[in-house]
Amino acid sequence: MKRWKQVLPLFAAGLMAPLCLAAETGSVVRAAELKQKPFFDAPKVTDLAANAPVEIVTRQGAWIEVKTKDGQTGWVKMLNVRTGNGEVKSGSTASGLLAGVSLFKTGSSGTTATTGVRGLSEEDLKNAQPNPAELEKLNGFGVSPDDAAKFAKAGKLVPQKDLAYLPKPSSSDNKSDDKSR
Amino acid sequence: MKKLIALLLLCSVPMSSYAFDLGIISKALDVGKKTAEANRDIPESEEVQIGAGVTSNILGTTKLVDNPEMQRYVNHVGMWLASQTERSGLKWHFGVIDTDTVNAFSMPGGYVLITRGLFSRLHSEAELAGVLGHEISHVVQKHHLKAIQKAMGREALGQLAQIAADQNGSQGSQNLAKVFKGGTELYAHGLDKDDEFEADRLGVVVAARGGYNPYGLVAVLQTLGAINPSDAALKLLFDTHPTPADRLDRLGAAMGDKLDDLGNKIDDVPRFEKLKR
Repeated sequence: MKRWKQVLPLFAAGLMAPLCLAAETGSVVRAAELKQKPFFDAPKVTDLAANAPVEIVTRQGAWIEVKTKDGQTGWVKMLNVRTGNGEVKSGSTASGLLAGVSLFKTGSSGTTATTGVRGLSEEDLKNAQPNPAELEKLNGFGVSPDDAAKFAKAGKLVPQKDLAYLPKPSSSDNKSDDKSR
Repeated sequence: MKKLIALLLLCSVPMSSYAFDLGIISKALDVGKKTAEANRDIPESEEVQIGAGVTSNILGTTKLVDNPEMQRYVNHVGMWLASQTERSGLKWHFGVIDTDTVNAFSMPGGYVLITRGLFSRLHSEAELAGVLGHEISHVVQKHHLKAIQKAMGREALGQLAQIAADQNGSQGSQNLAKVFKGGTELYAHGLDKDDEFEADRLGVVVAARGGYNPYGLVAVLQTLGAINPSDAALKLLFDTHPTPADRLDRLGAAMGDKLDDLGNKIDDVPRFEKLKR
């Protein structure tokens, strides 16, 4: 029994392996310190140069845990990382993504062989016909604000009542964006 | 075989639908003077009617996922977030629709749909809150309603809804169907980019007001950015939205570290993982 307990996680890990192929990869958009923990005053692991490729491990709060090419793991601010083709600036780390993406396709079905994805194209929307029965079903799933508040309480959610919306940033704040375009 | 399918498709689609666009609606109804009483605000009841009609059309392309527990769950998260906004009084409805396509839609009047393809790629309740916060913000700012108004003329739109409300005759319902059809087509073209950037900016605050980690939407945009853009599941989303990298740049510039103190708020709740299984 004990042995099973040791083996089971390995077995589970084996099942998870295909998902790992689809792990998100990206790069840091600006030079940043790789931290041991998701805090500003946490000790530094190493310095990351702008455009350094990283593999995403997990996220917490405003931070993201990444693994560098050298195998070092640590935390940077989430907004310092762009995934996939987003980092057109370096043009170097888009590889490895294609293999993962094919997992989501179901091209074996004869009827949708061209895309592997069913439904909801531009054409579908242009030719849409109403489905009142389904709309009624949707209406039936609605919940009251009181029910929602109970649900929030059960999840230990604490509302931040008067939090102001973020103003539109001035164009000078978008300099990094302009360079990328 | 391919030819046969193509032929069948051609036959099954009425030719008139190809010739249809928003401009034609107002001409056909002879209410084309968009300037007259152009500033009439659409009453909320009409907005809801339009939203319900467009939602019915979208559900005509893709049904709801047959999972009442999931549908209730999304309504709870969504209603909680909507309660934190200036339009908490609307009767909000949230649904997960059964397609691999990765996308989410909000309709005037408080209807929000998210695809199974997007839901399955989310990692936490805070990420779901980020997506719903974005969609709710579109409704709060009336982005789609304004776009429909702009295309059709406020007066035309108001008259149409009024005709349908006042008369049960076939003319009224036909006209209303045209409004719904035109409104649905908007989702094939998308909103102005600025509306999307604004919904991102507001959406993170809506999620944070609900007590969630405001970085949920940032995480989702990173996930979307990691998917090969040529993936068919993303075609509609990428055709109708700025790129994830562009959205992250704009959102990042607006957020800075302003919401970092709220980063220790709720990231996830076990009920989310339970539902995804």
